[in-house]
Amino acid sequence: MKFHLSHLQAMLLFALLVSVAFGFLSRRRPLDRAKYIAWSLLLFLLFGIGIGWAMYPFSR
Amino acid sequence: MTDETQIASAPPRDNQRDGRAIALGVAGWLVPGLGHALQKMWGRALAFFLTVGVLVFLGAGMRGNLFTSGSGDAFAALGYLADLGTGSFYWLAKYIEVGGPDVSHAYGDYGTRFLAAAGVLNLLAALHAYEAARGRKA
Repeated sequence: MKFHLSHLQAMLLFALLVSVAFGFLSRRRPLDRAKYIAWSLLLFLLFGIGIGWAMYPFSR
Repeated sequence: MTDETQIASAPPRDNQRDGRAIALGVAGWLVPGLGHALQKMWGRALAFFLTVGVLVFLGAGMRGNLFTSGSGDAFAALGYLADLGTGSFYWLAKYIEVGGPDVSHAYGDYGTRFLAAAGVLNLLAALHAYEAARGRKA
């Protein structure tokens, strides 16, 4: 079994799974969980893409 | 007199609860989500089982590095501890990853992170199950 995921796919999956786990760990009510998961996912993606762009000048 | 009797009988009850909490924490570590399932926290149990399971499945499928005990250097030892955090899923990852790790490609490197993240998340979940059983969190 092999998965050949791109950088973006891997980051999206990682961010989603970890955000869901964090949401269920730290919040009890479903609405609070959903908000936490959405917020955590957004921050993961923003920081991931931001750091990616910050490294771009040094990549070549 | 009554107070003394109550004080004398308190420690065994706490010990029993502590023992149960430790057992639930270990159960949660061995099988992701089991510590919560045994406390009837079905949503959390399912969420931890699925998130840790999918991370392990993807990480092994991406041919991430599954560290072993005899790796030698300190970083490999830390990686081994993180991987061991997945409990029984460590052997599931070994079973899936028949071709061995391949970190010469980016996806293999990502797979290593997926496996380590699964282990650390499962340790957090097991600690949460332990704390919930002690009545500190719910």
